[in-house]
Amino acid sequence: MSAATPAPSDLQTLFRERGYVAGEALATSLRLVVALGKPLLLEGPAGVGKTEAAKTLALALNTRLIRLQCYEGLDAQAALFEWNYARQLLHLRAAELGGHAVGDDELYGEKFLLARPLLQAIREDASPVLLIDEVDRADDAFEAFLLELLAEWQITVPELGTLHARSRPHVILTSNRSRELSDALRRRCLYHWVEYPTARQELEIVHARLPGMNEALARQVTAAVQTLRALPLGKPPGVAETLDWAAALVSLHRDHLDMGAIESTLGAVLKLREDQLLAAPTLQQLANKATEHLSGERAAAERP
Amino acid sequence: MTGPGAPVPEPAADLTSRVTAFVARLRVRHGFLVGPGEAADALRAAGVVNVLRKAELRDALRAVLIAGPEQRRVFDLEFNAFFVRDDQAPPPTLPPLLPQTEAPGIEQDTPPLPQNREEGKPSPKPAPPTDDEGEEDGDPQTLQAQPLGEGEDGPDDPDAPLQTVQTKLSPNASGGGEVEAGGGDLPDLLRAASALVRAVSLGRSRRLRPQARGNKLDARRTLRAAARTAGDPTELRWLGRPRRAPRFLLLLDGSRSMGRDATLLLRFAHALHLRSRRVEVYAFSTGLTRLTPLLRHAPLGQPLHLPDLGEAWGGGTRIGENLLKLARQERDRVSRDTLVIILSDGLDTGHMGELERAMRDLHRRAGGVVWLSPLAATPNYQPVQRAIKAALPFLDALLPAGGVDDLHALAGRLRRVTLG
Repeated sequence: MSAATPAPSDLQTLFRERGYVAGEALATSLRLVVALGKPLLLEGPAGVGKTEAAKTLALALNTRLIRLQCYEGLDAQAALFEWNYARQLLHLRAAELGGHAVGDDELYGEKFLLARPLLQAIREDASPVLLIDEVDRADDAFEAFLLELLAEWQITVPELGTLHARSRPHVILTSNRSRELSDALRRRCLYHWVEYPTARQELEIVHARLPGMNEALARQVTAAVQTLRALPLGKPPGVAETLDWAAALVSLHRDHLDMGAIESTLGAVLKLREDQLLAAPTLQQLANKATEHLSGERAAAERP
Repeated sequence: MTGPGAPVPEPAADLTSRVTAFVARLRVRHGFLVGPGEAADALRAAGVVNVLRKAELRDALRAVLIAGPEQRRVFDLEFNAFFVRDDQAPPPTLPPLLPQTEAPGIEQDTPPLPQNREEGKPSPKPAPPTDDEGEEDGDPQTLQAQPLGEGEDGPDDPDAPLQTVQTKLSPNASGGGEVEAGGGDLPDLLRAASALVRAVSLGRSRRLRPQARGNKLDARRTLRAAARTAGDPTELRWLGRPRRAPRFLLLLDGSRSMGRDATLLLRFAHALHLRSRRVEVYAFSTGLTRLTPLLRHAPLGQPLHLPDLGEAWGGGTRIGENLLKLARQERDRVSRDTLVIILSDGLDTGHMGELERAMRDLHRRAGGVVWLSPLAATPNYQPVQRAIKAALPFLDALLPAGGVDDLHALAGRLRRVTLG
């Protein structure tokens, strides 16, 4: 066991200190990223914290996070490097006016190189965390290009030659499964499926992210979200929605989940009109229970 | 079965051989794409974690050896079978995910048991068809001759015997079992699939892409090209909106009422999958199962053979529930580039409200929704089935799929439909 590699329990603690409640399996997978030097592919429903895991890993390892957001049409050029053509032209014109010649070495030097995320990642002295976010949105061609980079950790810039990684980045890829990734990419990666958190974990997340939040309200919000996820919703709420909802209720100075509070903040947790209509009776029941519970507590407190 | 954190009794020296054998077993019996490289990684991973904690070892090996959520259950069961404590009897041998293949040098000592379900429980027997099951098991021709009224194909019929209604609603009312879809019509189906891929046009992308001809000047590429001519933009570069390459999402009804049509359409789905990488196939009956990984690994030149599909094959039909499940679990697979093709006779036992919600959602998000029905191929067909009636407002087309001829004609028929 390498001394530099945090143990899973340590990684869990480091994550928890930074507001991310990671299960043991995820912590083990992240540790293997560091120990084996292999990329980790994270899949799971939207909003369960895949991207956040990479951000937190960077914080936990005290290193830089470099993020490449994938999209349809993303090409190697946009992900690796570009030449600053406008600046090169200006330089050429200025040189002409000044009466001196400009050589290739000067024109295609570091000064005019725009490093994009992948080039930045391999030029870092200390291993950064490289987040390749939503890799499923990129085209097959870009995925194939990534295979070579992830295997060799070197790139070739025609004018500069082959650049090797100074230190191998810790790579996290995320996917929402909008299309199937190739077996070749999967084979190069460790794999972890991120599930929705349990009620207990979600309560811990709320406490970690919103430390001052009313305990009863936090419990009601997490219980309500867990109930909503069991409904056949088109877009079930993720952890991000839970936190948004909790933050919205805190900002409205609510101490329990009544129907008025739900109606005014429902858009933070349910993002489809159909889902809001479907969930309305369930939320009404939850609000009634919360209100009854609060009334009971207040009556008990007022008793001599 | 041991609980999380229980010690693994094998000494470390033995762990190497066990992990190697475990990797081989996943590869041979279940078709995992794991080889010597993965075995080496698995050993390295085992060296990183505390192997005396079983849960930790399982998490580490799982991260290295599985490549998708479908493999997780098999992995966990096999892991528990392999790394069982000495004082416990080994759990029953799992049936392979893929048809078992002979691998030289690897002992095939455990013949597969009859199809087991969750945690080694025996598979529930399919409910015997009864005369009271309405459309589910009805003869399409008979149905056509005598169109059904509202509610006749659902579980809400107040006159239906209680047992029948329970059978329809039960998630275990599924036949399951391995699926044999052999047939020598693959060349024909491949031609039909190729024609379909060519025929589907979902309009143009909203994103501007570099093109030889376009309607918007690409300033960045023009400037870059101008660098070669000392800054003079002699070559103009253009941006345009390319045609959207279609993705296909096939939902195949594998319920009993589909009969032989289900295997024909499964072969067609396989052919379409062979013709385009952008194809996702799901089967549903009372439950939903993703078939794409199974089709991808199906050997070419042999009859299509799939393992036990459980609740996704041979049971009752719950279209709405399964479409909602799809919309929830695989939401990102449906976009404006997706043509959703539902292959079903529309004889449903589910709730129409769920079906309407699912269809509305799919219609809003997909580039097109097409329903192919074997019943629609019968003469004088009327779309009177409850599911078809509920889905019609959200369909771009309802087309027949009664045989290979209909599948050949599909491309031509779809060309006449405005999608996207």
